[in-house]
Amino acid sequence: MYTSRRQFLSRAGQGFGLVALSGLLQENLLAAAKAKRIIYLFMHGGVSHVDTFDPKPALAKYNGQPLPGSFGEGLVTSRIDFRKARMLASPWKFSRCGQSGIEISELYPHVQKHADKLAVIRSCHGDAFDHAPAINLRTSGNQFPGRPSLGAWTAYGLGSENKNLPAFVVMSDGAMKSGAGAYGSGFLPAAYQGTTFRSGQNPVLHLASPAGITPEAQKETLSLIDRMNRRHFATREEDSTLEARIASYELAYRMQAEAPDAVDLSKESAATKALYGIDEPMTDDFGRKCLLARRLVERGVRFVQLYQGTNLGDDWDDAHLDLLGSHNKMAKKSDQPIAGLLSDLESRGLLDSTLVVWSTEFGRTPLAEGKNGRDHHPYGFAMWMAGAGIAGGRVLGSTDEFGLRAVEQRKDVHDVHATLLRMLGLDHLKLTYRYQSRDMRLTDVHGENEFTSWLLNT
Amino acid sequence: MRFAVFLSFSLALPAADLNGSAVALLSQKCQSCHGPQVQLSGLRLDTREAILRGGKQGAALTPGKPEQSLLFQAVSGAGKIAMPPTGALSPAEVSLLRDWIAAGAVWPAEAVAAKKWWSFEKVQPVKPPALADVWVRTPVDAFILQQLHAKGLSPAQGANRRTLIRRAMFDLHGLPPTTAEVDAFEKDPAPNAYEKLIDRLLASPRYGEKWGKHWLDLVRYGDTSGFEQDPYLLYAWRYRDYVIDSFNADKPYDRFVKEQLAGDEIYEEPTAQQGTGYYTVGPNRDMLFKVEDINRVETLTDFVDTTSSVFLGLTTGCARCHDHKYDPISQRDYFRMQAIFAPIVKSRVFLTYNLARQYDLQENTRQWKLYDLADEFQRMRAPYVKRLRAEKLAKLPQAVQLAFETEEEQRTPQQKADFEMYTKKVAPRDDEVFPLLTPEEKDRLDRIKTRLLSLYSNYAPGPFSPSVTDSGPLGPPVYIPGKNAEAVPAGFLSALGGGDIPPPPPGSATTLRRKALAEWIASPEHPLTARVAVNRVWQAHFGRGLVATTSDFGARGTPPTHPELLEWLAGEFVAKGWSFKHLHRTIMLSSVYRQQTKPSPAALTKDPENQWHSHFTRRRLEAEEVRDAVLRTAGTLNPKMYGKPVVPALAAEELYGMSQPLANAWVVTSDATEHTRRSIYVISRRNFRMPLLEVFDRPEGVLSCSRRESSTTPTQSLSLLNSDFTRQQALALAATSLKGDEAAISEAIFRATLARSPDASELTMAREFLTKQTQLLGSVEKAAAELARGLFNTNEFLYVD
Repeated sequence: MYTSRRQFLSRAGQGFGLVALSGLLQENLLAAAKAKRIIYLFMHGGVSHVDTFDPKPALAKYNGQPLPGSFGEGLVTSRIDFRKARMLASPWKFSRCGQSGIEISELYPHVQKHADKLAVIRSCHGDAFDHAPAINLRTSGNQFPGRPSLGAWTAYGLGSENKNLPAFVVMSDGAMKSGAGAYGSGFLPAAYQGTTFRSGQNPVLHLASPAGITPEAQKETLSLIDRMNRRHFATREEDSTLEARIASYELAYRMQAEAPDAVDLSKESAATKALYGIDEPMTDDFGRKCLLARRLVERGVRFVQLYQGTNLGDDWDDAHLDLLGSHNKMAKKSDQPIAGLLSDLESRGLLDSTLVVWSTEFGRTPLAEGKNGRDHHPYGFAMWMAGAGIAGGRVLGSTDEFGLRAVEQRKDVHDVHATLLRMLGLDHLKLTYRYQSRDMRLTDVHGENEFTSWLLNT
Repeated sequence: MRFAVFLSFSLALPAADLNGSAVALLSQKCQSCHGPQVQLSGLRLDTREAILRGGKQGAALTPGKPEQSLLFQAVSGAGKIAMPPTGALSPAEVSLLRDWIAAGAVWPAEAVAAKKWWSFEKVQPVKPPALADVWVRTPVDAFILQQLHAKGLSPAQGANRRTLIRRAMFDLHGLPPTTAEVDAFEKDPAPNAYEKLIDRLLASPRYGEKWGKHWLDLVRYGDTSGFEQDPYLLYAWRYRDYVIDSFNADKPYDRFVKEQLAGDEIYEEPTAQQGTGYYTVGPNRDMLFKVEDINRVETLTDFVDTTSSVFLGLTTGCARCHDHKYDPISQRDYFRMQAIFAPIVKSRVFLTYNLARQYDLQENTRQWKLYDLADEFQRMRAPYVKRLRAEKLAKLPQAVQLAFETEEEQRTPQQKADFEMYTKKVAPRDDEVFPLLTPEEKDRLDRIKTRLLSLYSNYAPGPFSPSVTDSGPLGPPVYIPGKNAEAVPAGFLSALGGGDIPPPPPGSATTLRRKALAEWIASPEHPLTARVAVNRVWQAHFGRGLVATTSDFGARGTPPTHPELLEWLAGEFVAKGWSFKHLHRTIMLSSVYRQQTKPSPAALTKDPENQWHSHFTRRRLEAEEVRDAVLRTAGTLNPKMYGKPVVPALAAEELYGMSQPLANAWVVTSDATEHTRRSIYVISRRNFRMPLLEVFDRPEGVLSCSRRESSTTPTQSLSLLNSDFTRQQALALAATSLKGDEAAISEAIFRATLARSPDASELTMAREFLTKQTQLLGSVEKAAAELARGLFNTNEFLYVD
């Protein structure tokens, strides 16, 4: 029924390889793209910038004192009052790392060794101080749910390089404060939503045959479906949608083979596992996720999003009451795995074409909540990127001397999104989807301050 | 359509985009000082004439000559004046203005305003073409056939009865027919068998369950609020039931509109006021404090955007930030509309006044009693709690113990933090306390439990329905952000001839603004209301609207394929009392609707999208139809209607990622017979969609959804193939199909799932399949379940011909 290729693609899809006609759209951009894929490390709950990538000696100097003058005016957050709360020095030491000498705190001893690869953006800012709106904002460009996430836009723009695996894969620690919408497809077709992978035999929901159904029996049933569908199709051959669904069962069957293989870490060498801290109690879990991320991008997955932290367990947000304990623990769990991922990608020649992004929904207040806590802080915070030809060992922008507000080279989420899409060879102004009669963009009407050329130092 | 957009970008920016963008930029950046309200330096930049006329410094612009234009000099930093004073424009914005001036500085709104826009004109009376053709059964056919002839196409053969009944049942009920229903219809000798079928289907309450869902998609219905806590909207389902009832009662659409927009201001009957639940069933973050101002803005934005797109088929979202680039909707119009909703406060309808009062009273007394009951319990428990707590505390570090011993006021910040962190950990649980109680105390505990349960033995949702009303007869003032300080009066879109809404008469309890809006929209004279409604119904039957963009009848929407048919249907709809059921009959009795899906070779080349309707367009089942069809064919569908949402049991891996503890967020309905009720009654959490429904493109319920996607993905196949749900339903069907030999079992399962007997070769295939699976799985029942699971996954099951 749909004779043109366009019609076929729009209605039928091709498994996970459905592409937004990128070939027609932006071939020159795509060819020049530095990043063929993204691994996005999302630190769930809010990582303190002034304790990790944005040192503020003034906090030590004025430790225990309120902010001077009107510095705290106009800032609102969930629990503390900026006019009354007192400054809290970072309990961690910063050191100049690598040849570049960029400053990273001792929370990240392993990441420190990769300092020269990192482009740190210290001037991120947003306006949502609660988790769910802030996570929605960082992932989809809007505080409200219902918009497609960055990964979904990427999948829509680029498709997957492996038709047996989804283009957009998510691994989380479970409950997200935002719910699953953070990796949803919003108003884009369901094909673009993030597929959650877990480690183990059945990494994808409903991948395993039902309990008690042997592989032979499953194959028999699939064969029955196929035969019935082909008979049905024989009198309806003009309808490529029906053919696509026949193919989708074949694909589902192939995924049963391919996906467990993708997540099967037993084939990795002991040295590789050690690199990620696998089998060490603190680093095993996130180490496995990072190694899985490498295995997935190796197999052509475009966008892998890892979330560290959960609403119903260990979380960066435990910093409300226990900055020291929470950040020590969460950093310990992810430092070596992240460093391992960077090393591993590099040694396999994948880092040149893989963009690694480290981010969080907001920073934490330079002011104390209680004695050893920090509250939510969206007005200035840090993230970093590495790989994909980025000129590392550099810092973009800054916050004021107390780490309160982004002041120089202020970058909001839309600027970051525009930049990430550009790195992938997509123009954020042109990657659109018509919904409610607007040509919707990830960056809405923003994104004018993208910083791709700074990243690439061109 | 989406692809048209992509293609347009491979060319240069089209003129319409250039003009629109430039004028939008002027509106955003310049008009607060040089606009209708304020004219600094005597300059206005809101019409082309005004710009050419200029201000004290002379003409602001010379078309075609950016470098000589004062406006361009000012924004590019080339001249003496640097504008805007609040911060320079970006290079992209400057070059946009340059290109616009170079291209002649065309004003897009004038282009739109000058050319009358078809959908803003009153519906014209149209006569169906007089065609002498036996194919023409109804006026609809005449319009369609005329266009088919014009395109050199001819209609397809009529579909057979089996196909027709399945098509009609899914369209009207969202359910497949049973074999008995198919057989009866096939054998019905009456010449009007088909007409009788349609009438029977329209009279069934299943109709409201199907068409209610279409409406709930539009009004972004959900049972929770969304965001981190995703709290329950406890009574949202009353609105859902109201919608189902409204469709079943064939409530005239004008009345349906009025009840939802202003039921509280227009009608006395509680069942009519229930309609205003429309405003309350969207996402919200009322429970996030400190951001009340943002919440209010977002809520009002939702009301304006949803109302214009659902009832008017217009997108106004653009005008929130600047005058609409394509449609004649100004930013001022947008905020005039927002002013209609600004006085809204949430309320509740008393469905039965006396019962509602009684419920509130009971609740009030119950609370009072509970305070004392809890007090008694806590006193009895206290010594044990103290003891257990002390034991747990003794195991903690000395510093923490000290923090607990210190009086609250004397605690140091570290101690406060320790205290907060460990309070939960040292708190004894009731199951630790209860075994320690003395026999006498256990008796007392039992008595407390009994009294407690008695207090709640009749507990149930109250006779309330969510609704809204106004805070009073004077609404809060509404301003255009960043523009002047003058409040905007409530009113309708100017381009549709809407004026300001007058203040209410003395003594009015509300502003009556929504009443005015409702009566304006629901007027037979309104050019959009009926057109938009009939077009939505057309889309639901044919997969595509006569206007393909069903929620956009503006300049960016697609023009109607059959403008005269649309006029005729809209006119007929109003003339027949705004009756949806009449409209369904009008459409479904046509030859167009009764065609088979097989396209002619000519149709494939000339009209691959089938917009001229030379055959019927096959469709995939919608998410809820997939689940409901499996339940019905397995024989487990519980037909119970209405009531609070059902929470079916799901596997732990399916519930992965829920933001709140499952014990709170997924409270499985204790009565398992409820788990197999129709999907419209299953809870729709904003933060979590049931995987089976999600993969089949059920919308998120956050933004109004006027047309569902129909995607084909391997995750769909995996879910339908391997989920517990499918397996359980397959087993249920197998259990009732085990009479007789393999042939009889095959026959039974084919008839149940596909509503037909297998043909000879299918029968052979099925028998061999059963033999093989019995060997592999060890029992005929398991083999039969595999046959059922297989057939649930066939295209014949999943598509409607």
